[in-house]
Amino acid sequence: MTSNTGATTIETLSEQAALIAPKGRSLWKDAYCRLKKDRLAIICFFIIIFYALVALLTKIGVFASSWEDAVGPAYQPPSFDSIQLLFGTDIFGRSVFYKVIHGTRIAMSVGLVSSVISIPIGVLLGSMSGYFGRWVDDIVVWFYTTLSSIPNIMLLIAITFVLGKGITSIYIALGATAWVGLARVIRGEFMKHKERDYVVAAEGIGASNVSRIFKHILPNVSHFIIINLSIQFMAAIKAEVILSFLGLGVQGQPSWGVMIDDAKLELARGVWWQLAGATVAMFFVVLAFNILGDSLRDALDPKIK
Amino acid sequence: MFEYIVRKLLQTIPTIFGVALIIFILFNLVGGDPTYQMLGKHANQKQIQELRHEYGFDQPKYIQFVQYLKQIVTFDFGRSYATKQPIGKMILRGIGPSLTLAIPAFLLTTFLSVIIGLFVSYFRGTFTDKSVVVACVFGMSLPMLAYILFGQYFLAYKLGWFPISGFEVTFPERFEYVMLPILIWVSVSVGYDVRFYRTAILEEVGQDYVRTARAKGLSEPRVFMKHVLKNSMVPILTNLVIEIPMLILGSFLLESFFGIPGLGSITIDAIHNSDFPIIKAMTTLQALLFIFGNLATDILYTVVDPRVRLK
Amino acid sequence: MSTLRRFTISIFIGIFVFSLIGICGCTFKSKTDSSNTLHLSTPSKIKGLDPIYADDLYGGTEVSRTYEGLLQYHYLKRPYTLIPNIAESMPDISKDGKTLIFRLKKGVLFQDDPCFKATGGKGREMLADDVVYSFKRLADPKLVSSGWWIFDGKIVGLNEWREAASKSGAADYSKEVEGLKAIDRYTIQIKLIQRSSQFIYALAMSFTFVVPREAVEQYGKEFINHPVGTGPFRLAEYIPGAKLVWVRNPTYRNELYPSEGAPGDKEAGLLEDAGKPLPLADKLIVQVFEESQPMWLTFLSGKLDLTSIPKDSFQQAITPAKELSHDLQSKGIRLIKYPELDITHFSFNMTDPVLSKNKYLRQAMSLAYDEDQYIEIFYNGRALAAQGPIPPGIAGYDQDFKNPYRQFDIAKAKQLMEKAGYPDGKGLKPLIYATLSDTTSRQSTEYAVKMFREIGVKLKVDTYSWPEFQAVVKNRKAQVYAFAWGADYPDAENFLQLFYSKNVSPGPNDSNYSNPEFDKLYESALTMVDSPERTELYKKMARIVIEDCPWIFGAHRMGYALIQKRLKNYKPHDFDHGRAKYYKIDVPSK
Repeated sequence: MTSNTGATTIETLSEQAALIAPKGRSLWKDAYCRLKKDRLAIICFFIIIFYALVALLTKIGVFASSWEDAVGPAYQPPSFDSIQLLFGTDIFGRSVFYKVIHGTRIAMSVGLVSSVISIPIGVLLGSMSGYFGRWVDDIVVWFYTTLSSIPNIMLLIAITFVLGKGITSIYIALGATAWVGLARVIRGEFMKHKERDYVVAAEGIGASNVSRIFKHILPNVSHFIIINLSIQFMAAIKAEVILSFLGLGVQGQPSWGVMIDDAKLELARGVWWQLAGATVAMFFVVLAFNILGDSLRDALDPKIK
Repeated sequence: MFEYIVRKLLQTIPTIFGVALIIFILFNLVGGDPTYQMLGKHANQKQIQELRHEYGFDQPKYIQFVQYLKQIVTFDFGRSYATKQPIGKMILRGIGPSLTLAIPAFLLTTFLSVIIGLFVSYFRGTFTDKSVVVACVFGMSLPMLAYILFGQYFLAYKLGWFPISGFEVTFPERFEYVMLPILIWVSVSVGYDVRFYRTAILEEVGQDYVRTARAKGLSEPRVFMKHVLKNSMVPILTNLVIEIPMLILGSFLLESFFGIPGLGSITIDAIHNSDFPIIKAMTTLQALLFIFGNLATDILYTVVDPRVRLK
Repeated sequence: MSTLRRFTISIFIGIFVFSLIGICGCTFKSKTDSSNTLHLSTPSKIKGLDPIYADDLYGGTEVSRTYEGLLQYHYLKRPYTLIPNIAESMPDISKDGKTLIFRLKKGVLFQDDPCFKATGGKGREMLADDVVYSFKRLADPKLVSSGWWIFDGKIVGLNEWREAASKSGAADYSKEVEGLKAIDRYTIQIKLIQRSSQFIYALAMSFTFVVPREAVEQYGKEFINHPVGTGPFRLAEYIPGAKLVWVRNPTYRNELYPSEGAPGDKEAGLLEDAGKPLPLADKLIVQVFEESQPMWLTFLSGKLDLTSIPKDSFQQAITPAKELSHDLQSKGIRLIKYPELDITHFSFNMTDPVLSKNKYLRQAMSLAYDEDQYIEIFYNGRALAAQGPIPPGIAGYDQDFKNPYRQFDIAKAKQLMEKAGYPDGKGLKPLIYATLSDTTSRQSTEYAVKMFREIGVKLKVDTYSWPEFQAVVKNRKAQVYAFAWGADYPDAENFLQLFYSKNVSPGPNDSNYSNPEFDKLYESALTMVDSPERTELYKKMARIVIEDCPWIFGAHRMGYALIQKRLKNYKPHDFDHGRAKYYKIDVPSK
């Protein structure tokens, strides 16, 4: 046969082969398909988006920019009279509803910024430690073991001592203590992966260490980062409550933690709405993160079917 | 085995040193100065100098650090600035109450979490599984402070089911005072543990040998009980063992609100009063417990899982 | 053992543990103690029970249940009057006012305790030597008592004794001090360096309560947990940080409930127990409550007899329900409020360049702060706006005087800002405002920020823990801060000394105010006895301070006490010590 005929045969064969073999999906695509079917996860995702939007809009001033103003007499219980009185008023007559919205902004920003700080540190140290091993590993492990041996509260308190109180210190303090969990996981994964064939192959084609770390291995462990992000975010929001209880929280602005702390003194007099407002608001976003994190983990783990 | 233990012990030394260094830097160089607090409203310059001399504040920092290291080794941290009690005694006194709260809470949480964890993994993917997980997540989503405030107000005060706060040293009276805090502790922790155990168990369920067991014809319950449970014990146990040393420290929130004079409450007071000896002692204690807990876990791991080799 | 069996067994163990806890829960019933027992509370952990360390209100209260001083305040009479306690009578004072002679009551016994080996565990009689010993302890530099200031520079030879102790490294209690002598078994002679009308109050303060040498030497460092006193109660149980249980001291001498009081006391039923032997209660159970919610709820559920809302540190300003609700009233709970000898205020750091030279700025800020609204919000209307440094109830208080810089007036404040050179606050950098990190302070700070913003003054808020706050203020690192001062004794000198230049930081003069004219008046008043002339001087000094405005005067707070129906004989008192011996539980009305 002429070459033309030969080419056609091959084409047909490959086509046929392609038709038989299952279509390969990347981890992400697979996860995406699975997640799409999980209605609960989708609801949670949108809840989070909603909170993020509220936070953003509050930051640019669309919502609740007038939270400082008194809208009624002190300690009014919730009523449907107006949107401001929806959650009642606080000790100064300010709208608890507005404070809750403002608190959303603080919560989302605390979660976001502390994650933005902790994740790169965790990834960097974890990957270097897992990949290079030996003395690099020893130092990093020594460092995070030491850090995690010290009770978290103490570290947070000490860091806020140094940096002064306020939201920036909270960002840094939370970021500086949260990277450990991620680093551990990434380190473990890197240790597993660096011996794998595809990495050795990459070395074979001349990929540098940096390239191997970032271009080859990292994408394969990035799902851990996403999962960690959702956990981190939520942990940061809860940590802010404890910090406010200790007096180290956000200064001069209402946050959920500050509101719950105020509630300590109010509850015994029957003023429950500030506690309820902040708790409910926090509850839904933390819940959403939890469920989403779970679903992400289930979706991204190829072994669990 | 013995060599392994010794080696691991030696490895803890640089960690302990690192911890001491960080604690010292953080609380000594940047922490509050307790001098004014100790002298009260009518201090004068002379008294301040006398006090600093008496307590060794006027010595150069590195000497203070060396003294601190000595304290760690001998485990004698001296006396609290605020209460003047010897710290060793305070710690011993505080352990009892903290554990009275922590141990039952821990046992109950573990017991419930393992049962529920097994239950939901068995019924994974079903509506039951999902709703239980959601319930757990519910439990985890509220801050502890909210639980405490609600709990005290409704269950203790309004309904009178529990005492509002307080503590007795006698047995068994002390148990009634820790019931509500235990309940709160369990509500907060069960969620986290159930999900963790569920993941661990499901990891096993996805393994090939489980598929083989099923292929062999074993019934599902049998597969679970005989194979999955045993193998998932490894991560579960290691998680538990890590948690045990931490129990001693108690939860400072629960202890403050419920008036339980445990170690958590002592620690928080110390932080508020810049009572450095106590802070040093408690932090060192926890660090040491953590380090040795890890060591115990490592060793346990090698015992339980023969695949793990001693490096 | 098969896995299944193992599993089943664990389930049973679990059920067992669970039911154990459940059983304990079911056995919890409201225990109503029908014995003659008082249930009291204290809002913070006690620093131990040694008088020389009892520098806070709560420590002093506990210490005074078992220890006693030479003098005490009459429980019922107002204005506050000193009467003898373990002294037999008020001291003989020499003409020049510099020598005081105290005669002790005979037959005052220390409680029974194993430390009294010579008498086989029975408490021995308290003697003059014990008083001298206890006072020397206060001066002992090794013991680092924060109460030393009441004797510092006052007693002849005592400062020298302390110096010698400092140098040699150990105090010599056998060395005689010229101004502090036991001239016979029951007589003590005190020689002062200069006459002082305030000195006598020191002898009613908990720092000077009498302790037995045997106990100190026997228990050493544990003495702080093992009190041995002469007072009406003895310590039966002590769980540091949680609870104290005091029981009647069987060897307490015969002290009687007072038979006279202030006008109105008889009608209030406070003299019903006149002449009865003290203490009236058999047992006191004092519970530590660090958080206000549990304390409040425990009171409401009837398990606490008394909660007095603390005046001293504004970290703990608990705000009770606005009115006593119907069901509380029907339970017979009474709310008693009483003006306290204290004052809250903002201080300006007078060594700060911006503030010290600019009187108009200070006065402007003073006019811009609305105290009445603050009182409404934070004290439910229960406080008196302060016009000057001296609270009502003591000589020097000027009833009709209105401080021109404390009548809330924004317009006038703005005018003064212009005069100060900062029209509408322009050109003024934010003032460094130091405050505490607890909830109430946080809320007060929010209020202050709002107030000063009206005239353009911005605050840069720094929050601290209590020790840090004190360190910052005493090191003069902040510009504005809020404080409160409660009287140590009922003499206006205790408030005016806060402006005396020799008392600047780290002393109690936290604004570091220094005015030679004021100092001169202060020093001359020190040597005067209570008289119309001295009162005039006090008023004059107050006016100087008011004009110079180193403080924004806040309020004289009201104390509140909430009492269960069954607690009798309660009368509020600024100087709490030892009141518990007068309280009675009305057993049938439970």
